[in-house]
Amino acid sequence: MLYLELFLSFVKVGFGSFGGLSMIPLINQEMTSHGWLTAGEVSDIVAIAEMTPGSLGVNCATFAGIQAGGFGASLVAVLGVMTPSLTLCLLAAVFLAKLSRSPWLARIMGGIRPVCFGMILASAVTLSASNYLVDSAVSLWAILIGALVLVLLVRFRWSVPAVIGVSAALGVLLIR
Amino acid sequence: MDQETKRRHPPRGLVLFGMFFKIGLFTFGGGWSIISQLQDEFVEKRQWLTQSDLMDIVSVGRSMPGIMIVNISVLLGYRVLGVPGSILSAMGLTLPSVLVLTAVTLFYNFIRGNLYVERAMAGVRASVVPIILAAALKLRRASLPNLVSCLLALAALLLSLFSGISNLVIILLGVLAGLLYRGGKSDAVS
Repeated sequence: MLYLELFLSFVKVGFGSFGGLSMIPLINQEMTSHGWLTAGEVSDIVAIAEMTPGSLGVNCATFAGIQAGGFGASLVAVLGVMTPSLTLCLLAAVFLAKLSRSPWLARIMGGIRPVCFGMILASAVTLSASNYLVDSAVSLWAILIGALVLVLLVRFRWSVPAVIGVSAALGVLLIR
Repeated sequence: MDQETKRRHPPRGLVLFGMFFKIGLFTFGGGWSIISQLQDEFVEKRQWLTQSDLMDIVSVGRSMPGIMIVNISVLLGYRVLGVPGSILSAMGLTLPSVLVLTAVTLFYNFIRGNLYVERAMAGVRASVVPIILAAALKLRRASLPNLVSCLLALAALLLSLFSGISNLVIILLGVLAGLLYRGGKSDAVS
């Protein structure tokens, strides 16, 4: 039952993500282990979700859902990724003021944040394996584009859509 | 509230839906620009929330699992209009994303396979890892305030790469480590 599997996968993705890119390691693991997407397509999602408005999570779920099983599947995936917000977070809404000052929550987040940081780095490593190899040979041009993008982002503070545009143009010119 | 002022103001549910629809449609990348929009709309213009309500909403929203901005929409909607408010806010936020991404995904499937598109996508894929690294760099101060958190991050990196343990389990180990470690009280606000 594809819809149920997809829903449960995105419930997992939802419960395992705490802000922004921390969702990528989970999406990568869930999508590639079920064979719904390749590692290359996971990279495409990240690029597409960064270039389009809205949150990365909903954008990823829509894209992955359609690729795995069409429009209905995308709604199921989006509902899955929203499940923690509509359950746990709705419950938290009742105790809002008390929670926001809770030392327990702060302590838990003190453990979660570094772990998410480490997992984001791990997903950068696994995605590198697919993005810098073309036909299982290291692509020098791809590595150079990657290095340039890193400099543009960190040193010159370019926006993400701008560097995606530049790297698409360089890809057309350089990558064979 | 008398009849006349009621007529002049649109219903709160509609305002919530509309505001979050606008945010979902026009905000790129997410994060902090949204919070200043919420501040302008709900704290200053309409005065449905106090500044401290919004601070509570943001701090709890980013500490709950899930998509941060969806969490914030649920918390804010609940504060203004109860459960219907949170559902309307979350739907308003996600609807434009689903519509836009459906169109984009169909277009992506239509153009992929073309030689030039393939080359462009190879270029774009080459930029994804630096995008992830640059974003991680910005999180560094909040995520790694001390040596213990650096070690935790390193352990998570190695477990995720080499152990085959599910990422969800690694996060639970992080929760456990956070609960056991008592030195992190000072970063309660961060």
